[in-house]
Amino acid sequence: MLWAEDGSRPSTTSRRSLRSARPHPFALPASALAGVHPGKQTMLTMLLPSRSSGPVDSPELVRVTPAARRSGELSLSPWSVPGVVVDPAELEDPAEDVRYGAAVPHRRAVARCAGVLASRGRVRPTLGHVGGRPEARWRPIVQGLDAVTRRALVEGLPPVARAEQRRGGDVAGRDPATLVDAALSTLTDAAVREQLGRADVPLDLVPRRRGRAPRSLPATEAWLGALTSADARFDAPEREISELAAALGAWDEVGTEETGPGRALFRLVEMRTLHDPADPAADEADQTGDGTRWVLEFQLQSTDDPSLILPADAVWAGNADRLIVSAQELLLAELGRAALVYPMLSSALRQARPAYVDLDVASAHSFLTEDASALVAAGFGVQLPAGWNGTRPIGLRLSTSSTPAPGVILRGGLGREELAQFRWAIAVGDQELGEEEIAELVAAKAPLVRVRGQWVSVDADALAKGLEFLKRERRRAAPPTAAELLAIAQGRGPETPLPITAVAARGWVGDLLEGTAERTLTPLDPPPGFLATLRPYQQRGLSWLAFLSSLGLGACLADDMGLGKTVQMLALEAHERAGTAPGPTLILCPMSLVGTWQREAARFAPMLRVHAHHGIGRPLGEALRQLLTGTDIVVTTYGTAARDIEELESLPWHRLVLDEAQAIKNSQAAPSKAARRITAGHRIALTGTPMENRLAELWSVMDFLNPGVLGAPERFRQRFAVPIERHRSDDAADELRRITRPYLLRRVKTDPTVIDDLPEKIEIRQEYRLTREQASLYRTVVDDMMEKIEDSQGIARRGNVLAAMAKLKQVCNHPAQLLHDGSPIGRRSGKVTRLEEILGEIVAEGDKVLCFTQFTEFAAMLVPHLSARFDQEVLYLHGGTPKKKRDEMVARFQSPDGPSIFLLSLKAGGTGLTLTAANHVVHLDRWWNPAVENQATDRAFRIGQHRNVQVRKFCCPGTVEERIDTLIESKKALSDMVISDGEDWLGNLGTGELREVFALGAEAVDDE
Amino acid sequence: MSDQPFWADEGYSARPRRVTGGIQINSTRGSVARTWWSARFIAVLEGLGVGGRLSRGRSYARAGQIVSLELDAGAVVALVQGSRPTPYKTRIGVPTWGKEEWGRAEQALADDAWYTATLLAGGMPPEIEELFAGLGLALFPAEQRDLSMDCTCPDFAVPCKHLAAVFYVLAERFDADPFEVLALRGRDRETLLANLRTRRGVTAAAAEPAAPGEGTPPLADTLDRFFSAGPSLDDAGRFAPAVTSPGALLDQVPELPVEIRGHRVTDLLRVAYHELHGYPQD
Repeated sequence: MLWAEDGSRPSTTSRRSLRSARPHPFALPASALAGVHPGKQTMLTMLLPSRSSGPVDSPELVRVTPAARRSGELSLSPWSVPGVVVDPAELEDPAEDVRYGAAVPHRRAVARCAGVLASRGRVRPTLGHVGGRPEARWRPIVQGLDAVTRRALVEGLPPVARAEQRRGGDVAGRDPATLVDAALSTLTDAAVREQLGRADVPLDLVPRRRGRAPRSLPATEAWLGALTSADARFDAPEREISELAAALGAWDEVGTEETGPGRALFRLVEMRTLHDPADPAADEADQTGDGTRWVLEFQLQSTDDPSLILPADAVWAGNADRLIVSAQELLLAELGRAALVYPMLSSALRQARPAYVDLDVASAHSFLTEDASALVAAGFGVQLPAGWNGTRPIGLRLSTSSTPAPGVILRGGLGREELAQFRWAIAVGDQELGEEEIAELVAAKAPLVRVRGQWVSVDADALAKGLEFLKRERRRAAPPTAAELLAIAQGRGPETPLPITAVAARGWVGDLLEGTAERTLTPLDPPPGFLATLRPYQQRGLSWLAFLSSLGLGACLADDMGLGKTVQMLALEAHERAGTAPGPTLILCPMSLVGTWQREAARFAPMLRVHAHHGIGRPLGEALRQLLTGTDIVVTTYGTAARDIEELESLPWHRLVLDEAQAIKNSQAAPSKAARRITAGHRIALTGTPMENRLAELWSVMDFLNPGVLGAPERFRQRFAVPIERHRSDDAADELRRITRPYLLRRVKTDPTVIDDLPEKIEIRQEYRLTREQASLYRTVVDDMMEKIEDSQGIARRGNVLAAMAKLKQVCNHPAQLLHDGSPIGRRSGKVTRLEEILGEIVAEGDKVLCFTQFTEFAAMLVPHLSARFDQEVLYLHGGTPKKKRDEMVARFQSPDGPSIFLLSLKAGGTGLTLTAANHVVHLDRWWNPAVENQATDRAFRIGQHRNVQVRKFCCPGTVEERIDTLIESKKALSDMVISDGEDWLGNLGTGELREVFALGAEAVDDE
Repeated sequence: MSDQPFWADEGYSARPRRVTGGIQINSTRGSVARTWWSARFIAVLEGLGVGGRLSRGRSYARAGQIVSLELDAGAVVALVQGSRPTPYKTRIGVPTWGKEEWGRAEQALADDAWYTATLLAGGMPPEIEELFAGLGLALFPAEQRDLSMDCTCPDFAVPCKHLAAVFYVLAERFDADPFEVLALRGRDRETLLANLRTRRGVTAAAAEPAAPGEGTPPLADTLDRFFSAGPSLDDAGRFAPAVTSPGALLDQVPELPVEIRGHRVTDLLRVAYHELHGYPQD
């Protein structure tokens, strides 16, 4: 129940009544309150500190006009207060402009307690009755420290929270324990249901039933079902309910017993033996060789105040009884219970006032390694001696120190000079042990020894094997490769006789392990003749790729889309071929990107000889082999690679590159299998999304790059996929990042070091392929229209040319747009499919996009389709949109929470609007007038835009779209001429030229 | 349907009256005594050769026919509901130890904390029998003459099924709290522990700590801090460590009598506890 005061209302009331409660003068009306926190409106009587004129302000209240100082005796008076009954979750979402009283954070603390109890499983399923109907409820089990928290909640309850007056004349206030317990009970039930409800698969405890369910379920089954359903109520025959209630009665006892206000604490200490050094006899008591012995002391620790620890002697002397109830019996009971877990104790208890037990070295070792954790698990406290650190056992320490990250090393393995300091040692923590020291430890055969002031447990056999290992490693002829070194440092190397407990890697090995190599490498300049200027981050990417290549490590370049992965890759190829001839590189990519690779290579790295290996009549066998001698890069599609795998796998590739490497996310699919069969000196994966959905995809890409790096699929699933995806384990995620980071480079657009580097507007020619349906329609239109054009003259011919143009553009958009038949969108258009992929990435990034088309019919088709596909509103602005609506749409798009996709007709939306919330612009079809297109683009790219804008223009190779694009580009390059108005000039072309412009090329169709 | 011979006492022929809220044992099948020390009592009973009455007594105990049971120094008195309207009154008597005998026993216990520690942890070391034997004391009855048994029912046999039922309930009482065995010999738990404390050399607890924080002040005394939370709220973030395995609770509860399609209910619930366990805290 919430109520509120309103600072703009009068602070006093003139109404007087001695008996009944008066209306509160400045309480906020329930209707106004419900506007802030919705809930059921109600009215109740509250006892509030008051003076004769009215209730006093709460400290949180801010008055519009300060109230006059008021005098008079402060006393408690009943007031009738409006309020709302809200859902507990409402309080987690505080409203602005409201100051909450202390009861609200208190209530949150109760909810937090409930949440922790639920997640620790300190809950008990119960059967209750409300209004005569049975209910399945989870109730908290509050014991031990949890009871301390509960008591703190009870004592911390602000008086105002218990000020409701239930009966007239009652002025004591409600019992805080009752209120807190009731709240804790309700919230615990809610917390359990919420946590179970968040599971991946909705949890159903009731085993599946074969056949139809009976009309009324057995009580136990109905109860079990109601424990996880939203509604806790259920129905079942009354007799069964009472049987169930009787059976569950015993359950209610569990966890209600007082655990007692303390627990036993066992403290392992070293004591001096006090042996007289003058005494020539051996020191019998010396357990450690240092004149000390091990003693396990018994202590009693208070539950309420864990800092209160009493030694057993004090307990027996009666000093503890003031602090802990029945301290002696408690200690005895705890010791009796502990003896069940740790039988060594029994013998120590055979005396009147047991206070400690002596341990010899073997028992001390067993205590440190096993018994202590058993006692802790059973709920006892354990204190271990200083210097004992179970996390730092004796183990192997690997240290490598290498030169600071070099520019590029052009050899496969690591030379001695680069890895001069590769060295194994046996160490305790960071302290390396000398060989003599180790030999002594082995000879001593003691399970527990003090090494450099720290107690460590020693397995003499393993230590001896460790020594052998050191000697063997020292004789090792070849230094390890970088891959081997990383594997060892990441704990995935071959088995060692002792655990690897420390890795000290300085220089570039350390940089790789830390994932900082990109920053420490010297940025590389692309070779002379490379025509693109690399941005600084691209230079760093180039040197990173070259570095990993020189080490023979597979590399995944996972920069955000638009950051220029292709150009970095081309720079690497050009760099490597400056002066040497390493052999051809094979690039696998989706069909739609083959042309991009060819074009970008021709544009930026004209020295690279590129062969597109696809389509009918591609050279195979000897012809291919011959061709390769004069080729630097072979680009092929995943589909073609799978078909030609027998050919490709037998060729000597310098490198294998997977573009859009998420194509091999399914390790069992044909493209993945093909990619894995091809042998190459080096492997690179390019992807903007290294993991689209599931971690298994990451496994597939990383395993392709560096086979075995993430282990076998099943092991990967157990170790990473399940803990991370199902249990959101941070530890497992950290571990996975640690292992993958040497091989993965990902820069994002929002990275400030990248943004500073970027041009402000990135233009991308977005290629796609026609579907078979589109291709056959396209041919029909060309045949049909060419006939008409040939038969017509003058203005009629011009008209026919423009009509042909329009129809072909419609086919490229979608078959249904040409047919005007309202047929479904489906997967019939290569352009729409590609658009969906791009929008998917944009939406996933949380970015916004403008999509321009000149065809309102196409836009009208897309709006419902895209809105269903992305489950969000898609804005659409066209010539018929009224001004008011237009402004409203723009405002909504510009607001942070507004829709992220905005479709606009080129003519209506091309001018006048400011849509800077978008940092992507897509031109779905072309007007072939750069000025018009730029005007449209500038809706997003204008003052107010703080981010870089990516502009995509759709273009299908082998169609009229590409031909005209090329034509314009070349003309622009020649004379920078501005094409006056759209497509009119087309009408002047001769029939032969038109045929060339219209003809459908083989590359237009997706052959995948 | 009766398994009784025709000449049986009329008390046998009718079904016993149902008791609501009667004392019922948890054991649903097989032997009743779970611990060696309660088994020692049952052994005396079972050595008496009254077979059929024992199993009927067990059924009585399982059906909850015992209306009340009082354990005191030297005797257990119980009311058992049979077929007649008035419950039968049964009594099992055991000789108590005298003051001097208890003095020896207490000193022996005080000298060796292991016994008390084990008893307080819910167990009873078998060596305790030897310890007392060494003092000339028998903790358990060995045969019928160590016990006196009476019942107001018309059955001529001793023990009758009512006495047998009381034995079984008593056995479970002993299982749950071994101190009850000693109580029967004349020292209830509190007295015994207090005496042991004295013998350990400490005078009776000088002062029990005041009950913490009880007695909520009336609202009228809180006007100066009416709108603020108590300072203790800062302590409300202390929680017991999560050392228990998920669903540890389910190992402590008795299984429900009903299964769902062959699955035990506790096993079905375990899934929920596992799911909760994987949920991140905070």
